[in-house]
Amino acid sequence: MSNQTQTTREPTMEGEPTPEKTGAIDIENLTKVYDPEGERVVAVDDMDLQIGAEEFVALLGPSGCGKSTVMNCIAGYLEPTEGEVLVDGNRVSGPDPKRGVVFQDNRLFPWKTIQENVEFGPQMNDGVEEGRARSILDEMGLDGFEDAYPSGLSGGMQQRAELARLLANDPDIMLMDEPFSALDALTKEIMQKKLIEVWERDNRTVLFITHDVEEAILLADRVVVMTARPGQVKDVIDVDLDRPRDPEVVTTDRFTELRERALSVIREEAQRALEQEEGEV
Amino acid sequence: METRRRLVRAGSVLAVPILWFLLTRLGIVAGLPTPTAVASSFLEEFYRQDFWLSVARSTVRVLVSFVVAAAVAIPLGLLIGRYTVFADLTFPALEMLRPIPPIAWIPFTILVLPASELSIMFITFLGAFFPILLNTIQGARGVEVEFSRAAQSLGAGSFQTFRHVIYPSALPAIHAGMIVGMGLAWVNLIAGEMVAGGTGLGFLTWSAYTSGSYPTIIVGIITIGVLGALSSALVRLFANWQIGWREVESA
Repeated sequence: MSNQTQTTREPTMEGEPTPEKTGAIDIENLTKVYDPEGERVVAVDDMDLQIGAEEFVALLGPSGCGKSTVMNCIAGYLEPTEGEVLVDGNRVSGPDPKRGVVFQDNRLFPWKTIQENVEFGPQMNDGVEEGRARSILDEMGLDGFEDAYPSGLSGGMQQRAELARLLANDPDIMLMDEPFSALDALTKEIMQKKLIEVWERDNRTVLFITHDVEEAILLADRVVVMTARPGQVKDVIDVDLDRPRDPEVVTTDRFTELRERALSVIREEAQRALEQEEGEV
Repeated sequence: METRRRLVRAGSVLAVPILWFLLTRLGIVAGLPTPTAVASSFLEEFYRQDFWLSVARSTVRVLVSFVVAAAVAIPLGLLIGRYTVFADLTFPALEMLRPIPPIAWIPFTILVLPASELSIMFITFLGAFFPILLNTIQGARGVEVEFSRAAQSLGAGSFQTFRHVIYPSALPAIHAGMIVGMGLAWVNLIAGEMVAGGTGLGFLTWSAYTSGSYPTIIVGIITIGVLGALSSALVRLFANWQIGWREVESA
């Protein structure tokens, strides 16, 4: 990608205009209060976080710390109580195909075949391009399963199919809520590799929610550690490990250092969460 | 299905005439016609045009009423299930009408509607309408929110979410309502035909009673039973075809 500045508005004959990076997320003073029957629960409290375009950020934190709430606000499923989420400078006001979501337990439509699932996004937007679903499925190692229903696939294959469905829509941002937490160790490793492959090739922003410290460090450019409820940013860890990172990277000293740092923060917060709960009882 | 289960199921059907035969043989129920008397009455009816006309009349009435009921109840149920405002506007009124027994409608509908045919169809419609409506509402409400969210994040608008997520997701519940509704459609139809009179299997059975032809009453009952079972099977077949992605309970 060239960095030459454009002086004319019209694209010149020599070169195409430099495409601007898209997919920057700006979380500003985000507060989300749930209010079921008057019982206020502050899930996220005045959180600030900037995620650069094409960056891979892992969101790490003890369970119940509001990770998913943050994601749901970015996805546009939830309206912030205070503050706002901006994507490329525009306020998020609802779901958008530019912000794709992968759910914890995949949400493939059980009444559609794998191919129909993958073609759903394009069908809703610019139209289905012949053969595209098939090539994405091939890439995900799902060739031969086009006409199968999701229930006929293993957990790992379902998660790959959901990733394929997302990619078919060509989103700027991929929001992933503990996408691999239900998979066995080996399948998980394969999926992680696949995800990084896709991310490095396609220049998308990834927000990856996980409670697995090693997974966060292995995948992300930056690991954002959240506090126990109410959720805030506790620590941001820059992961300065070279890419591509092979699985052996976990044995290096630098990885251990990063992991220890993340773990100590997590422990502290988990302890606080526990005391909080005991205090409530 | 395995052979053993087939045999047991066949036994379940065969037990009825055997018990019946024993009942008449031992003279436990006075006036109960013997299976043989009913069989010969059946043969008689078999060659009468009137009988087949009744069968055709009743079947058409059920099918038309049922299809109309489904066509009204399914969209209505989906809307009630998804939109609180719509539910508040319509559901209380419907809940007030629901407990009214079908036969209670007959005098009124005969007076108001231009033909007794229509009043029979109307109460048949009611029989199918409410079970389908209630099940559809339940089905639409039970759709997991993440399916709708997934669709929206893939670019689906509210109508597309309705069509591609809410409706297919509610289908198993809708089918359950259709199976119950088909049964009640027959119940109401026979009641209507007996009261409003004229034609149909209900009328045939009732006029057999007034003329004291006991075997013909039983012929009417059996025919209604067989047609009812066939209609339910038809609904199940349709349901299985419509949701091939999921096995429908056959029990």
